[in-house]
Amino acid sequence: MKRRLDKKDFRSFLQNLIETYDLFAPVKLAEGVSVYRKIDQPEEVDLTHPNPQKPAKDLFFPQSEEMLRYEKIGKHSQMASLDEVKRERVLFGARPCDIEAISIIEKVFVGKEYTDVYFLEKRKKTTIIGLGCNHPLSTCFCSSTGGGPFLRARSDLFFVDLGEAYLVELLTEKGLAFQKNPFLKEADPKDLALVKELEEKAFEKVSSSVPIDGIDKRLDLMAESSFWDRVHEGCIGCRVCTYLCPTCHCFDIVDEGDSQKGQRVRNWDSCLSPLYTLETSGHNPRTTGRERTRQRLMHKFNYFPKTFDQVACVGCGRCILYCPIHFDIRKAILWTSSARPKSF
Amino acid sequence: MDNSTMIQQKIRDIAKDLLAKKTVDLVIGFGEGTLPLRVTPRFIRNPEKVDRLLWNSFCENNLATYLHKFSRFKLGLVVKGCDARSVIALSLEKRFQPGQIFMIGVPCQKMVDRKKVSRAVKGEILQAREEGDLLYVKGDGFEVSLKRNDFLYSSCQACTHRNPTRADVMVGDPVEELPLKETYHEAKEFEKMSSEERWKFFEKETSRCIRCYACREACPMCYCSECFVDSSNPKWIEKSFSPSDLQFYHMVRAYHQTGRCSGCGACERACPMEIRLAYLTQKLSQDVKELFEFETGMDSEAPPPLSTFEIADKQDFIK
Amino acid sequence: MVVQKATVETSDRMLRTLELSFLKEEDAKNFRFVPGQFCELSILGKGEAPFGIASSPTENGSLRFTINKAGLVTTALHHIEEGLEIGIRGPLGNGYPIELFKGKNLLVIGGGFAFTTLRSLVAYLLHPGNREKVKGITVIYGARTPGLLLYKDELAAWQERSDLKLVVTVDWGDKDWKGKVGLVPNVLEEVAPSSEDAYAVICGPPIMIKFTFPKLMALRFPYERIFTSLERRMKCGIGKCGRCNIGHFYVCKDGPVFSYAQLEKLPKDY
Repeated sequence: MKRRLDKKDFRSFLQNLIETYDLFAPVKLAEGVSVYRKIDQPEEVDLTHPNPQKPAKDLFFPQSEEMLRYEKIGKHSQMASLDEVKRERVLFGARPCDIEAISIIEKVFVGKEYTDVYFLEKRKKTTIIGLGCNHPLSTCFCSSTGGGPFLRARSDLFFVDLGEAYLVELLTEKGLAFQKNPFLKEADPKDLALVKELEEKAFEKVSSSVPIDGIDKRLDLMAESSFWDRVHEGCIGCRVCTYLCPTCHCFDIVDEGDSQKGQRVRNWDSCLSPLYTLETSGHNPRTTGRERTRQRLMHKFNYFPKTFDQVACVGCGRCILYCPIHFDIRKAILWTSSARPKSF
Repeated sequence: MDNSTMIQQKIRDIAKDLLAKKTVDLVIGFGEGTLPLRVTPRFIRNPEKVDRLLWNSFCENNLATYLHKFSRFKLGLVVKGCDARSVIALSLEKRFQPGQIFMIGVPCQKMVDRKKVSRAVKGEILQAREEGDLLYVKGDGFEVSLKRNDFLYSSCQACTHRNPTRADVMVGDPVEELPLKETYHEAKEFEKMSSEERWKFFEKETSRCIRCYACREACPMCYCSECFVDSSNPKWIEKSFSPSDLQFYHMVRAYHQTGRCSGCGACERACPMEIRLAYLTQKLSQDVKELFEFETGMDSEAPPPLSTFEIADKQDFIK
Repeated sequence: MVVQKATVETSDRMLRTLELSFLKEEDAKNFRFVPGQFCELSILGKGEAPFGIASSPTENGSLRFTINKAGLVTTALHHIEEGLEIGIRGPLGNGYPIELFKGKNLLVIGGGFAFTTLRSLVAYLLHPGNREKVKGITVIYGARTPGLLLYKDELAAWQERSDLKLVVTVDWGDKDWKGKVGLVPNVLEEVAPSSEDAYAVICGPPIMIKFTFPKLMALRFPYERIFTSLERRMKCGIGKCGRCNIGHFYVCKDGPVFSYAQLEKLPKDY
C-alpha cells in the first residue's frame, strides 16, 4: 500500500508518533556527527548527514545495556532482569543497509537453543521506517553484499524522499497499522513514477562493486596467507570500524557495584582489542594485530557465511570513511580475488 | 616543479637509497588512498617500490605511532615537525634503540582538514587536486576551488614547529616558523571562558564519546600494555556509559600526555565523533612551558620534566 | 546455589574445590548434564567465569567445581565461605562424545588442573551401569609435584580398582612419593596403549599437549579419534558475544570438546 506525506505535514506526523511511541531518529550532535536517539521534539530530527556514525543496531543492541540488577537481602541475592520494553517504539530514517544489518545480528542473537531476550524484546516492539538512499556515496557497496539503496526487506514502512513530499510504502502488518494515519494521503501516480526514477538512478550510483561472491571459498585457502601480514600493517587497532559497523555484535559482560548491590552490564566490545581473547593466565591466542585483523575479516566473510549463508557486511562504507589510516575493506576483498594475493 | 612534487621525489630518492644500502629494513611513509583527500600509511621494503610513496597536504597521520608495532626493525620514517617531536619524546622514554630510527624530515606546509573541506561543498567530493595554494574539488554537480589555508587543521593553524629540525635528513628548505606564543591558541580560547563555560564545553564534547579509544591508539605516546581504563584490579572506571567515566577518561589521558604531547592532533583526527581534544593537551603543554621551560621533543637530551626528579626541583607549589 | 563444602586441593593453595548444592529442589531435578560440560559461576559484583564440571552426573545432588586462583572472579571464589551463595548458569557446551566411545577402548590423558572434566568423565564411566559402555579404560594423569595432584583420595580409590588402568605420575617427586616420576608424554610412550579401536581424550596445559601429541601420533591415533576440551576466555557462554569464536565455531556452544580433525581445519586461535 502506498501513501504520500507532504513535507509540510512532516512535523505533525512526527509529533503524532512521539505521542504514541518512543520515537528514535537521526539526531545531530555536532557538525557532521549524528546518531540515532530517542527524540522528544520533531525539530531534533536531522536527515542532512547521509548515514549517522552510530548505526541503527544501537536501538536493539545498545552500546551499554543493563541486563540485570541485584540486591542482597539477608543471605540471598534478589535479581531482576531488565529485558522488558514498556512502550512500543518506532525507528525512523534508517537506511536499508542498517536495517539489513539488524537482521544479520538477529541471526546470531535469536537462535534455536538460546535467544537474546534483550534484543528480541526490542526487535518485536519496534516498527522500522526505512529511508531510501537517493544519493548513495562512492563508498557505498550495498549492492555487492546483496542489498541496495532502495532495499525494502525488513522495513515495516519505507519512505522515499521526492523533494516536496515523501512516498510512504506500508509493507508489513505493522506498516499497515498506519493506513489510517491522518497525515498520510493518497499517493499520486506521478509520485510512483518519480520513485522508480530515483530508484534506478540510485542503483546506478552505487558504482562501487566488490567481488563478494565466493569470497568465503577464496578465504578458505588463505587462512595462513602472507596476505594478512600486509592487511594488518597499517592498522593501529583503534576499533572505530567495529564500533561503527552495523553488523558487528561482539560484547563484553561486566558486573558493576559491589557484593550488596549492583548490576550486570553488557557493553560493545571489539575483536580488534588485544584484551579481547586475553586469558587470565596471560596467554593470548591472538597475540598480534595480524591475528586480530584476520579474525575480523574472516568472521565477516568466511566464518559467518559458513553458518548463515550470508556475509556479515552490508556495504555501508562506514569503516572506509572513518578509519584514521584509511584502510579500505574493498581493497582487501578485491585482493582475495586475485589468483595470488598481491601485497599492498 | 611544485614544492610538494619536489618533496615527494626527494622522499622517494632517500627511501630508495636507505633500502638499497640496507640502512633500514623498512620505510614508512604515505601512499595513495582510494578516496580523494585521503592517503594511507605505506610500508616499503623493496627499493624498487618507492614510487608508491607520495607527499601532499593530506599526509595527516603521525607515523611515530608505528614505532611500537615495528620495534624490532630499523625504520625509515617520514616525519613532519610534530611527528619528529614525538619520535624524540619516545627516544627519551627509551622506546627504541639509538640509531634504530632514520627520520626523513619534511618541512610541513600545514595539513588540510579534509572534513572541513567536505563540509564546504554540497555533495560528495569525487575528485580533488592540489595546485600551489589552491585546492580544486569536484563532485556531482559542482566544481570549486578553495584556498587551502582556509581549511587547515586547528593544530596546524598556529604551529610553531613545522620544521623537523632533529631529523636525520630534511627533504626541503626550512619554512618560516611563527613565534612560540602563537601556538597555544586553543588553550587561550579555552582560558577566556569562565569556569562554568569551560565545564559545559568539556561536558558537551565528551558526551559524544563512544569509548572506541581511537584517540589513544592514534597517539604515539599512548603505548602502555595495560591502559588505566582496561585495568580491572584496581578498577579506575567502569566500562559502561556514565558521563563521569567518559570525562575521567579524557581528563586522565590528557594528563598522561603532560610534557609528552607534541600537539600533532592525531587524536582529534582519528575521532569518529569529532570531539575536540587538542585544547586539553595544549593547555597542559602551555603550563609545562611556563613552569619548566620545556617543550616536548625539541631536545634529544633534556629529560621530560614530569618523568624525572632532581633535588633542585622547585617546590613552591607545596604549601 | 549454596556452597556446601570447600576444600583446598593442592599444596600451593591455588586450587580449591567447591561442592555446590541447589537452593531449589526442582532446579536440582532439572539439571541434567554430561561429562565435559561447563557452567558459568557468578559472584555478583565481581563477575562470572566458566568452569568445567568436575562431578559426574551419577553423583546426584551436588555439583563440584575446581577453581584455579588467577583473577578477580576466581579469587572471590577462593574466598567464599561455606554456607554462602553463588550464581550459576548451565549446563553449557557439548560434553564428551560418549556415544562414540561405546564399545571401544578409551585412553584419558590429563595434566595439572585440566583434569577436572576428565574426573567427571572417568567417574561417570566407572559407575555401575555405565562401565560396560566402554571396553578398556586407561588413565594417565600427571602433575608437576605430588602436592599439586587433584582429587588425591579418589585417585587412591581408583588405583585399587581392576576395571581401569590408572597411572599417576609427577614431574618431580618428594620424599613421601612412592608413585611414578616422569613427564606425561614419556609415561604415555611407556604405557603405549593400543590405538586400535580406541579413542583418546587429552586435557592439559599447552606445553603438555605440545609434547604429548607427537606420542599419540606415534601410537597411530588418527585425528578423528583424539578429543580435547578447549579453553578460551568466555563471557556469555551461549554463542552470542563472540569472544570464544574460532572459525565458524563457538567454543562455548559447539565445544568445548572438539576432535583434532575439527581443530585441524580451524585457525590456530587457541
